[in-house]
Amino acid sequence: MRRLPVYLVLDTSGSMVGEPIEAVKNGVQLMISSLRQNPQAIETAFISIITFDSMARQLVPLTELAAFQMTEIKASGTTALGDALKVLSRCIDTEVAKTTPEQKGDWKPMVFIMTDGIPTDNWEAGLAEYRQRKTALTVACAAGAKADTASLKKITDTVVQLDTTDAATISRFFTWVSASISATSTKIESSGKEVTGWEELPPPPAELNIVV
Amino acid sequence: MITKTVFSIITNGRTYQYIDNGEPMRGGMKDVYFSPDRSYVVAFYRDVQDHNSRERLIKIATQYYDSFFKREGGEYYKDLYSWPIDVVEQNRKLGIVVPTYNRNFFFQKGYAANDLIRGKEKEGKWFASPKFRNKQFPLRLDDTELGNWLSYFQICVNISRGVKRLHAAGLAHSDLSYKNVLVDPVTKTAAIIDIDGLVVPGLFPPDVIGTADFIAPEVLATKHLDIKDPNRKLPSRLTDLHALAVMIYMYLLYRHPLKGGKIHDLDTEKDDLLAMGEKALFIEHPTDTSNRPKQNQLNPKELPWTDVTKIPYTVTGPYLKALFEKAFIEGLHQPMQRPIANEWEEALLKTTDLIQPCSNPGCQQKWYVFDNSTRPRCPFCGTPHQGTLPVLDLYYQFKEGVWRPEDHRLMVYNNQYLFGWHVNRNLIRNEKLTPEQKVPVGYFTFHQGNWVLVNQKLDSLKDVTEDKEIPPGEMVALTDGKKLLLSRGEGGRIVVVTIANK
Repeated sequence: MRRLPVYLVLDTSGSMVGEPIEAVKNGVQLMISSLRQNPQAIETAFISIITFDSMARQLVPLTELAAFQMTEIKASGTTALGDALKVLSRCIDTEVAKTTPEQKGDWKPMVFIMTDGIPTDNWEAGLAEYRQRKTALTVACAAGAKADTASLKKITDTVVQLDTTDAATISRFFTWVSASISATSTKIESSGKEVTGWEELPPPPAELNIVV
Repeated sequence: MITKTVFSIITNGRTYQYIDNGEPMRGGMKDVYFSPDRSYVVAFYRDVQDHNSRERLIKIATQYYDSFFKREGGEYYKDLYSWPIDVVEQNRKLGIVVPTYNRNFFFQKGYAANDLIRGKEKEGKWFASPKFRNKQFPLRLDDTELGNWLSYFQICVNISRGVKRLHAAGLAHSDLSYKNVLVDPVTKTAAIIDIDGLVVPGLFPPDVIGTADFIAPEVLATKHLDIKDPNRKLPSRLTDLHALAVMIYMYLLYRHPLKGGKIHDLDTEKDDLLAMGEKALFIEHPTDTSNRPKQNQLNPKELPWTDVTKIPYTVTGPYLKALFEKAFIEGLHQPMQRPIANEWEEALLKTTDLIQPCSNPGCQQKWYVFDNSTRPRCPFCGTPHQGTLPVLDLYYQFKEGVWRPEDHRLMVYNNQYLFGWHVNRNLIRNEKLTPEQKVPVGYFTFHQGNWVLVNQKLDSLKDVTEDKEIPPGEMVALTDGKKLLLSRGEGGRIVVVTIANK
């Protein structure tokens, strides 16, 4: 059975302390519980969480929905977006199975990156590495007014912006992420095709502004 | 929360109401709203529908509705379909009005471990995937939701009948899939929904090519061609028959008949297209084994079902085995060879006559098909059959004094019933049976060390071997080689008894 790998790359820098980080944790929980109501998603979607502050690490390795368990996140430090892209690239290399003459590979991964600040490391080096990986879709989310949409635009064409980082707004973002994963896993089941562009996902909630 | 009123475009002045809370249930093409009393839903197409589609919907809700439901036997089909009863329009958006599904199609319990899906629709995927019945899987369904193996025979009979009736009317469903067929193993029923995509060959072009697991190979293999290209294959009655065969295979064996280990291309998407289209190959093909699931790649949570060496398709018995071969070997790329819905219905019903209860109380499936061996055992849990096993072969009178086998046998177990359709070949077991015809005419029981048939309603039952009439209220012992005439009437059958597992 081919898997649909989903990577959530989340900013846990110091500016996320308080309501924003709590909202992110809550959002991930909501997303998991909503996806667990969809048999197609349970069958195909595998989730991984990568967090980044002064450096990045894979917090939860690619895990099937049924077995997924969220671990504690704390916010502190700077915004090493470049390191996050490097870690993400390495995870894709090791976790996403390629089709070989012997074995069916996975679908191309979906990547959701969320950050509320300006990258503090050499993020272009990370981006250069990430560019060499094949993904079905990369969505970058600029959370709050201080997020740097310009650098995110260089990572992907699909950038959404949250006006604020309060609990309600962040939770709406995760609702949309979960609907997108649901739609993609159903689409793979129902047409054997991967989602390849922004247009095919469900419309984002009103509070998300698409940066074009 | 606003209650809105919409007007029928069919009947002047007829109105429907729905509750708009701003967050409709979103289907593939429609936004769905409940009526205030939740007895029906109003489903609006998100896209503007063209003239053709408008005409098709009106026809489905009027002419075809009447021909399906407003005639003798129409009641039976009301439970089998969720059929649009009217077409409405609002702000240039077309909508259909559909009665709410029966309550049994919503989970009473859902998952064993929590209430996350309680009250959700029982779409087919929950029951076609082996994980959800694996004891080690955290999100497995509760035992009370799963039914037993026999439940799925009845479900498949219902689906076959639903498809049979559509095809008899010249219609094709065009998108039979998990989402469009609700199944309930608890009440052993199924309902075909999303009837609005029906296609009438030559009249209305199909608007979808179907759902991946169920799309016929010829449709996938030609989907790159223009819709007007004569070589392009579109959904039709014949592609429904592929989907039906896949569905029956999946509900009885919980795996997909074409998803095996063969790699066709290193590009994932191309590989999938070939594996389900042009190069589609039955995973259990008897001679070409190249698409067998690879043993080292089986997911432990999907065992034993994905291991075709442990549970081959032949466990479904001789009648279904023959049809699966017709569907996935001869008919896979030759659509005209595919079994029709009526053949599936008949084979499923005949197979239920071969079915035996498993004596292991812990057996998940509870029932299995007699494998024609002298030492039968349950293929699911391995428990051998205990005690003797009478097998009744049915014969019909070909001409005076000459009796021929029907290719139909009845396996006896304690408290098994004999019905009118066993007694007389002119009575056919289908949806047209009257309530009286569904009452047993006799039953089998193990009595003082012997198997006996107790006659309840047969007025001309005769023990041919002993040359003795058996009037109602009396019983006759089933011994090896015994011949019983079940009825002297036209079409009356003789059964010949074989005692297996001696």
